[in-house]
Amino acid sequence: MRILLVEDDPDLSRQLKLALGDAGYAVDHAADGEEAQFLGETEPYDAVVLDLGLPKVDGVSVLERWRRGNVATPVLILTARGSWNEKVAGFDAGADDYLTKPFHTEELLARLRALLRRSSGHASPTLSCGGLRLDPRAARASVNGEPLRLTSLEYRLLHYMMMHQGRVIGRTELVEHLYDQDFDRDSNTIEVFIGRLRKKLGSDRIETVRGLGYRLTPLEGETTE
Amino acid sequence: MWDLSKRSLVRRLVLLAGIWNLVVLLVAGVFLTAQFRDAAIRRFDQSLAVLTDDLYAGSTVEDGVLKAPVLTDIRATRAYSGRYWTIFDQPAGGGGLNVIERSRSLFDSDLMIPMEQSERLMSESGKTLYFDLKGPQNRPLRAAALLARLPGYPRPVVFIAAEDRSPIDADADRFGRITTVALVILGAGLIAAVVVQVRVGLLPLFRLRREVASVRRGKAEKLEGAYPEELEPLAVELNALLSHNQEVVERQRTHVGNLAHALKTPLSVMLTEASQQPGGLADVVERQAQTMREQVDHHLRRARAAARSQTSGERTPVEPILDELAVTLERIFQDKSEGRGIEIDWRCPEDLCFQGERQDFMELAGNVMENAGKWCKGKVRAEAVASSPEQMTLTVDDDGPGLPPDRWSDALKRGQRMDEHTPGSGLGLSIVDELARAYGGSVTLGASPLGGLRVTLVLPRSEG
Repeated sequence: MRILLVEDDPDLSRQLKLALGDAGYAVDHAADGEEAQFLGETEPYDAVVLDLGLPKVDGVSVLERWRRGNVATPVLILTARGSWNEKVAGFDAGADDYLTKPFHTEELLARLRALLRRSSGHASPTLSCGGLRLDPRAARASVNGEPLRLTSLEYRLLHYMMMHQGRVIGRTELVEHLYDQDFDRDSNTIEVFIGRLRKKLGSDRIETVRGLGYRLTPLEGETTE
Repeated sequence: MWDLSKRSLVRRLVLLAGIWNLVVLLVAGVFLTAQFRDAAIRRFDQSLAVLTDDLYAGSTVEDGVLKAPVLTDIRATRAYSGRYWTIFDQPAGGGGLNVIERSRSLFDSDLMIPMEQSERLMSESGKTLYFDLKGPQNRPLRAAALLARLPGYPRPVVFIAAEDRSPIDADADRFGRITTVALVILGAGLIAAVVVQVRVGLLPLFRLRREVASVRRGKAEKLEGAYPEELEPLAVELNALLSHNQEVVERQRTHVGNLAHALKTPLSVMLTEASQQPGGLADVVERQAQTMREQVDHHLRRARAAARSQTSGERTPVEPILDELAVTLERIFQDKSEGRGIEIDWRCPEDLCFQGERQDFMELAGNVMENAGKWCKGKVRAEAVASSPEQMTLTVDDDGPGLPPDRWSDALKRGQRMDEHTPGSGLGLSIVDELARAYGGSVTLGASPLGGLRVTLVLPRSEG
């Protein structure tokens, strides 16, 4: 397993390199954003530990550039500020997990193991509907290659609709598949979630069939592969 | 002394204009009435002068006896008609005047020339004098008198014509009354015009006030309206002040953030280094590092809270933040519950806005929802509603073990940790409490219908 460690503090870098090496990983180290970006784009790493406060190019920008360049390596970010603003920005940019400084090395190693385990499932069959794509194994969805940020309820709703695309699905049916227990089962709930999905997917993909329910269809001109 | 600086501008302007109007109109009224009276009296005097001239010119002396002319004016013949004349002469030894002839209208009375007027007649002979005197039945009269010598008559002769002056007085009074009424109406009109002018003229000022108020209430970020050139600089200055404030706050925040960052990396190094040393050192360093971290967090929050009281209100839509937080937190906790992750079900009206900064709301909601995520068995529910025009409520429930009621208040205290073995600090809720207080809001804990803890946040809301 090859890990890229991006951290500008020499002491922390030394310690982390040592700890990661002891845990059996091959470690490359980058001390600034530019070097990190270059290494991440050119070398096939299994995971990246990325500090957000970096010289030259900051961590969030590095991450954004990787994700734009289709580098899908799982990334664990280290942040010192730990404000939600920064965490959300990190996840928005494509991070897979975060750790707030100061942290224990064991914690870092545990998170890293979890990250690697999650990303090990490969090449799962994906569902698609026009430009819409859904990977049930990784629980990720995208529109025209752009990853969608969905909550689990939204994801579950979309998954169900993609499995039954082209068919009109009634509200009750959707509610039953959205919630495994029986709270909150008013049909209003479904409208809320359909509304949010439309905002994220584009409003034309989900069609309202009056009195019957909803139907997911590819956009005109798109073909289902 | 009036404290003019504290009076309303409108009242001040109207008052000044009013005083000025009053003075001008008063002077104009007095002047006009006096002019009218003068002109009327002059005309009256002229007709009297004609009569004295006629008396003088028509009088003849026959054998040392003076004969008055025959005047045909009917008013001089009817008793007490209001028009009178008399011819006197002055006895040689001085003293009073002798009546030689008089108009029949005088009937049984005489025209009495006041003393000082008769002296003036003596000294200014040949000149017609005008004066007021009392006539028959005590009527006020206007008189013209002339002292002259007639050829063949030994003594100076005084010709005097008089007429009742009450008609001119009545005319003048009527003119005065009409003028007063007209001027009062004019004055009222002017004041009304001034009031309208001032109100309309000051409209931009009132608009400025409304805009500043809406900035303070967080409905606008800066003054947007176009203002007249006198107010424009003020609006520009206000906007500059607002953005300067914003900058200062932003700088402070960055500053404190940088400090926190600068401290936390060394703390990480110390923690790691200590953990590799055998013995009690590791424990001490870890405990101390933990304390330092809590201190840094605490002061970071204090700085934010202090900065917040200076900022002008900003409005932050709640819905997108809850969405982002839900997506992020589900990702963070995706390994929880044997890898099934957690499910965050959130609800929020699309138009709900928090009055305050985005970063702060993210901190508030993020920490409450993270806490729920940390303790739940798999389900978190968050619901934001507008609880009043001024307030919004965010309720976060989880299906975790919850807290017994006697520990609800403890959980909000600084540095209180519910479980030493849960990763991450237990500070989440005390951060929320401190920040919510800075916004004049509150946090309360309770039991959730899902079985776990319910955290209720009450925060200021920005309407419209």
